[in-house]
Amino acid sequence: MYRFRFHGRGGQGIKTASRIFGTAAFLEGFNAQDFPMYGPERRGAPVAAYVRISREPIVSRGYINNPDVVIVGDETLLFDPIADPLRGFGGGVLFVNTPSTPRIELDGHVVTLDITGLALEYIGRTSAISAGVGAVASKIAGFTKSNTLDAVAMELEEIGVPGELIDKNLKLAEVSYDSVPSFDLESLPSIERSDFVDMGVVQVRLDDGYIGVATIANLGNTAIRKTGNWRILKPIIDMDKCTGCKICFAYCPDVSIYMGDDGKAHINYDYCKGCLICSSVCPFKAITMVREVKTL
Amino acid sequence: MSRYRGVRDIPDEEYVAPGSALCAGCAAEIIARHMLKVLGRDTIMVNVPGCYAISTLFPYTAVKVPFVFGVFGGGAAVAQGIRDGLDILREKRGINNERVNYKVVVYVGDGAAYDIGFQSTSAAIHRGLDFYFVCYDNEAYGNTGFQLSGATPYASRTSTSEPVGDSIGNEYRKKDIFEIWRAHGAPYVATISVSHITDMLNKFEKAKEFRGPKLFVALSICPTGWGASEEETIRIARLAVETGMWPLKEAVYGEVRHTFIPRRLKPVEEYLKTQRRFRHLFKPVRREEEIRRIQEAVEEYWRRVRESEAGG
Repeated sequence: MYRFRFHGRGGQGIKTASRIFGTAAFLEGFNAQDFPMYGPERRGAPVAAYVRISREPIVSRGYINNPDVVIVGDETLLFDPIADPLRGFGGGVLFVNTPSTPRIELDGHVVTLDITGLALEYIGRTSAISAGVGAVASKIAGFTKSNTLDAVAMELEEIGVPGELIDKNLKLAEVSYDSVPSFDLESLPSIERSDFVDMGVVQVRLDDGYIGVATIANLGNTAIRKTGNWRILKPIIDMDKCTGCKICFAYCPDVSIYMGDDGKAHINYDYCKGCLICSSVCPFKAITMVREVKTL
Repeated sequence: MSRYRGVRDIPDEEYVAPGSALCAGCAAEIIARHMLKVLGRDTIMVNVPGCYAISTLFPYTAVKVPFVFGVFGGGAAVAQGIRDGLDILREKRGINNERVNYKVVVYVGDGAAYDIGFQSTSAAIHRGLDFYFVCYDNEAYGNTGFQLSGATPYASRTSTSEPVGDSIGNEYRKKDIFEIWRAHGAPYVATISVSHITDMLNKFEKAKEFRGPKLFVALSICPTGWGASEEETIRIARLAVETGMWPLKEAVYGEVRHTFIPRRLKPVEEYLKTQRRFRHLFKPVRREEEIRRIQEAVEEYWRRVRESEAGG
């Protein structure tokens, strides 16, 4: 059995990517099991999906803690303590969607490709990279191109993607497929593994029964959790055009715009999630956006 | 007279911290921010399972006022307990400080307001509980993957009303929670929208005058569930108001007044087309009859409004 774990951000299509890969595996004659992490669905927040494939019937259930292959759809998640994509990675293949070369030292193969850049080129959007990510996983596993593209078309059709958009996604899938190497899964180091260890459960201290409930005394302490790395596009205020009208400040959902001493609006990039509401409501068109490029 | 005339008058104090894990572009965050700016520091917020619960995931909280998390159906019941406790301290123990005069706010989604928590809300309104009840209505169970709720509008796709084959998506009508609350005889009931911030601020300010249940329903744009891009949140909210699909109004002791009357209604499809949840109305074939049905319901509503406003 081979275990693939997918990491990404809600809205990127990571769940769909895992389904594309699972379907491709099925077309290759494998038994396949694909499913996403259960939890609140939030766009931009870290999500994970899991695929088991095997020539034998699969009896294992539950999350994958010791993956053979890890697919990371957003480079900023690589060292994110909550997503923790490298947890349990035993020296197989790590794929990262990034335009740069990650500076990491680990046992195993590291493959990179700028799928987000390709998605911009072929689809015109950065948000849905499922076809590219699914195709990359499929190539890494050594599946054929025709089965991979069939799986992309089947899965996108099922979630109601219109025909012309499916064609663009197939192009993205094909380019992604051709851009990465394939591996002989059999040759990857086999990890002595059990699915039922190291679940990463946080132990909560048992308090006095009279206290009884979980209490947070430090109100507003989410501020220590920076959400700035959710951004795919980054808003930038042109200070020459900003009149300090406060409209972007009023509409920012994440309290990430503040009025400076100069009377103009400023963005706090530590927290800005990149929703770009500010850019859309600015009456003076003073807020432009650029693609966020993070360095690893 | 209205206290807030424009966004320049928005209070500077922030009672919501950044860093919460709510979706980018979430309208429920904007509503919470402005609600707390008006109600101020001396507020206790009650929340139940729903999207906004993500603002506070142990051991982190984005809300800078006391925040109590209750069971799904029990938001208003928790508020009753808090209010009663504070009143007992004041009346029986003779304590009178700002703390016993805290405002109690229930801030919940449409699942808790229209469906699961409706019984406890109705009972609390019936008892005349002095509290604020604010529903951020994203028209489905957004937190768990966008399932149908009593607030889902006609023809909306949800994950439990997929428009497969001839199906139109949700075949039921959205509950009119404004009228349901108004029928309880609450002193103040209002609808609000994130696109009309000053209207929203003034309604929260006005509600402070009343003792008893003060009820708000806010259209809460959900980019994730509605299938819209995040930066469109405000534009979609504005279209909902300008097409007449989301009337801005208030009822003081049952007397309804519209705070914004669109001079000319924009066609509803301008609103519907902004969201993937209505895409099956336009593609692959245009469902003319269904679009007309939605349009006619809106026009009928405003025809009755104009009649009664002219008569009054």
